[in-house]
Amino acid sequence: MSLGSWIANRLFGIALLAYPRAFRRHFGDEMRDDFRRRAGSGRNTPGAFAALVRDGLRERATAVARWTLWPNHQPHLYEPSGRHAMSWDSIRADVRYTLRQAVQAPLYTLLAVSALALGIGANSAIFTVVQGVLLKPLPYQHPDQLVTVWSHNTAENKPENPISPANFADLRDQARSFAALEGYFSFVSNTQIVLDGPPEIAVTSFVSPGLFELLGRTAMLGRAIQPGDGAGITVISHGYWQRRFGSDPSVVGRQVTADGAPATIVGVMPPEFVFPYMGMVGPTGFTRTMDVDAWTTMMMTGPRMVDQSGRFIRNVHYLAAVGRLQPGISVEQARAGLAAAASRLEQAYPDTNKGWTTTVTALHEQVVGEVRPALLVLTGGVALILLMACVNVANLVLARGVSRQKELAIRATLGATRGRLMQQALTESLLLALTGGLLGLLVVRWGVQALIALAPANLPRVQEVAPDGTVFLVTLCVALATGTLVGIVPALFATRADLRPALQESSRGSVGSRSRHHMRAALVVTELALAVVLSVGAGLLLRSFATVMTLDPGFRPENLLTLQMSIPYTLTTPDARRAYYAQWFERLEGIPGVVAVGGTTRIPLGSTSVTTSVQVQGQDVPTSDLPEVEFRRAMHDYFEAMGIPIRRGRNFTTEDGPTSPPTVIVNEAMARRVFGQENPIGQHIRTGPNPSGPWSTVVGVIGDIRHSGLEAPPAAEMYVNYLQNPPVAPFIALRTDGDPAAVAERVRVAAAAFDSTLAIYDIRTMQQIRSAAVAERRFLLLLIGAFGVLALVLAAVGVYGVMALVVSERTQEMGVRLALGAPPSTVLSMIVRQAATLAAVGVTVGVAVATALTPLMASQLYGVQALDPITFAGVAALLVAIATLAALVPARRAMRVDPLRALRCD
Amino acid sequence: MDHFRADTFLPLTPVAFEVLLALADQSRHGYSILLEVEARSGGTVTLHAGTLYRALARLVEQNLIEEMDAPVGPGHDDERRRYYGITPRGVAVARAEIARLEGQLASARSRRRLQEGAA
Repeated sequence: MSLGSWIANRLFGIALLAYPRAFRRHFGDEMRDDFRRRAGSGRNTPGAFAALVRDGLRERATAVARWTLWPNHQPHLYEPSGRHAMSWDSIRADVRYTLRQAVQAPLYTLLAVSALALGIGANSAIFTVVQGVLLKPLPYQHPDQLVTVWSHNTAENKPENPISPANFADLRDQARSFAALEGYFSFVSNTQIVLDGPPEIAVTSFVSPGLFELLGRTAMLGRAIQPGDGAGITVISHGYWQRRFGSDPSVVGRQVTADGAPATIVGVMPPEFVFPYMGMVGPTGFTRTMDVDAWTTMMMTGPRMVDQSGRFIRNVHYLAAVGRLQPGISVEQARAGLAAAASRLEQAYPDTNKGWTTTVTALHEQVVGEVRPALLVLTGGVALILLMACVNVANLVLARGVSRQKELAIRATLGATRGRLMQQALTESLLLALTGGLLGLLVVRWGVQALIALAPANLPRVQEVAPDGTVFLVTLCVALATGTLVGIVPALFATRADLRPALQESSRGSVGSRSRHHMRAALVVTELALAVVLSVGAGLLLRSFATVMTLDPGFRPENLLTLQMSIPYTLTTPDARRAYYAQWFERLEGIPGVVAVGGTTRIPLGSTSVTTSVQVQGQDVPTSDLPEVEFRRAMHDYFEAMGIPIRRGRNFTTEDGPTSPPTVIVNEAMARRVFGQENPIGQHIRTGPNPSGPWSTVVGVIGDIRHSGLEAPPAAEMYVNYLQNPPVAPFIALRTDGDPAAVAERVRVAAAAFDSTLAIYDIRTMQQIRSAAVAERRFLLLLIGAFGVLALVLAAVGVYGVMALVVSERTQEMGVRLALGAPPSTVLSMIVRQAATLAAVGVTVGVAVATALTPLMASQLYGVQALDPITFAGVAALLVAIATLAALVPARRAMRVDPLRALRCD
Repeated sequence: MDHFRADTFLPLTPVAFEVLLALADQSRHGYSILLEVEARSGGTVTLHAGTLYRALARLVEQNLIEEMDAPVGPGHDDERRRYYGITPRGVAVARAEIARLEGQLASARSRRRLQEGAA
């Protein structure tokens, strides 16, 4: 044989491997022989080899398809007997059999199916939320190209500061990696709209004319704002259109008055359009609602944008920006490009730009980045619950395996193969899980509604959460995986043991009970460990929540009513406003139940804040290094109404009038920050780098207030008396002597009687505001807490189940012990000790796992370490106690065993 | 056999039909079928080994051909090989296929434009 033909023969042998083994066995020799005979004919070309392999692969596909998709009882090459281990007939038989079994053991079926339905449904419900919030693309065109741009104040470590108009214009010119960069006010405003009656408030977002084009969204009715639009062009939201205009299509083209200027409604946006999301507005602003009613053109040439000399303002920051990257440009590239532009600006305008660079964040990250950790914690928690449900059901299946041992043995004896028995077992668990999944879809439906209702109002995109096809598919996959997981262990187990002795045993036999027992013990240990992990998580969140709730906000939140108001636009002069407020406060003080009345420009926990730099007389600090403090106006008896203590000096009095020398009150944080050890009282300060500005005298120091959230440390802040420049849309605080909610209606009536053109809105008690401030924390605690409790219950049931089995299997042994004179208490302690051992093992494993996992939720904790020893020890003790208690019930039964009966029963 | 209907097998794949034709007069082994098909087609058809044996496997399963003992006599020299012969069902199916093809052919012949030499 030549080398060439030797190689060819080898190759042929290899090519034959493409065929299924049965085919090779049947035809291989002949094919090889044919090949040899043809060697000289010139037909054994590479193409022939390729055809050989191709045919082989086709045959394999055919074989697989015939084996799995459509098996029948026809004898064929791969099953010459025509007897298939798996066929539709046998599956049908298994399904029928399973259903019959399910009807015969309704309690078992009910328990298993409902545990799986809860587990699977809860997972899918959380997944629905995660999908809607985290996974779905934002409702803009090619949202992955969108980024937000902020000014980064490196000196104050504020990476997401709004941008000044001048810097925005310069960045826009220099942003080479951007296809477009558009701006909007970094806050939403309450605009007074006059339609046909008294002025109403519409929450408005001011956007540059190109913004909608950048987002790639068009109007549902009419048109969106477009490049080239002038001032006063307004588009309204779908919700506002329905609510205020009764879905009247003729609203397009309507002329209205907005903040005293003419405006035209040109279109209505579709219902799913949202802009801006909560994460997209800056830390400053006036109003606390985010449901935007209208979008209006923001003119770069407007009065807020340019100074008296007509140049863009560079030192006041109130624009936010969203950009679309050029195709193929990454966020990092865009970030580097803008940082370079910012450093050029820093050199060109050191007075205003020193220490300022830019932050570029992917829009999706900006919107949902903050809630991602909380949602991931939830996902992890609910996955653990499903795992526990699986373990519980596996335990149930295993327990039933005991009573079905004989049946399996008979079937095996009659010729059922191991594969056949496994198929039966898996059919059963898959059927359970699929039924569970189907019912789980109901859980999803109600669960998602409950989650949305429970969800904190500031959870971004919660309005976009809805179960869809993906959720259905995920549910199906989870159900299949669950079914396999639940079924595989008991199935392997049930078919592993030599079953024949079971036939010889009496019906109370305990053959294989040792390894079965080990298996159940392992499952219970798993359950206990999972319960430890969940309970530790819940415990840590509970401690965090308790810590946050006991934090002193710096004011007395009880018996406090707050509201926001917008005074009529006709009050253009400070004098007119002063007179208006004087009468208004007098009117409010006259309301029965009102103890003190005050107001401010930005209320704690419920609004935003604005900062200013301050200069201290006698301190020589470069302009760019001036400290930044929060700035508010105090109206009337604000500190008294809020219950904010005056620590040093005095409150504002009537002497601090419009014509008297300007005075300020600072908080303790600002006193420390700006004056250090010096006495702040009597010091002179002025706001901003303003060489000609008047100096104000510090007359008082108040306690620190947690403005931006209960968990955020108090910031340095200063108050000026409102009389020196009365605001137009302040927050009002009313201290009441009873339930503040009861006063709300009286305030509304008083306002209507006082001035029909006065708009008051957003009336809430401070307790409501405080509650909203911890809503996300409460949401997470509520769910993880519920998971924790559920886990404890499941663990208790698991321990009870396995100990009950132990007792029933050892009845005889106990009878002997009792008959030989052992005191019943030793029997009890024996059982309880066994349970405690299980618990100890489970708790140890659980603590180890929790130690690894809890640091992942560190971002959700406050005032407590992820490895908090108290929580860990408490949970461990709790679980051991629960396990012991759960074991007591069967242990007491064991203690009361009648020795005679126990001995007789075999 | 009760439910046997030849037309449920139609149309046959070209390879299956060739195999039935090759086995119509005598039983053959695989290689012999290969040679017969190639000879009959004047060498224009090359039957790959894989294609042939897959077709044989399916035809056996469908009971259109059957494996049989090697016939005795000259030309049937190789006893190691499996011989295949057509079954009555195979004959019926082959006839049905021939009828189907004849019908097609007749139909084709009646179309003037498809005739050779036609414009």
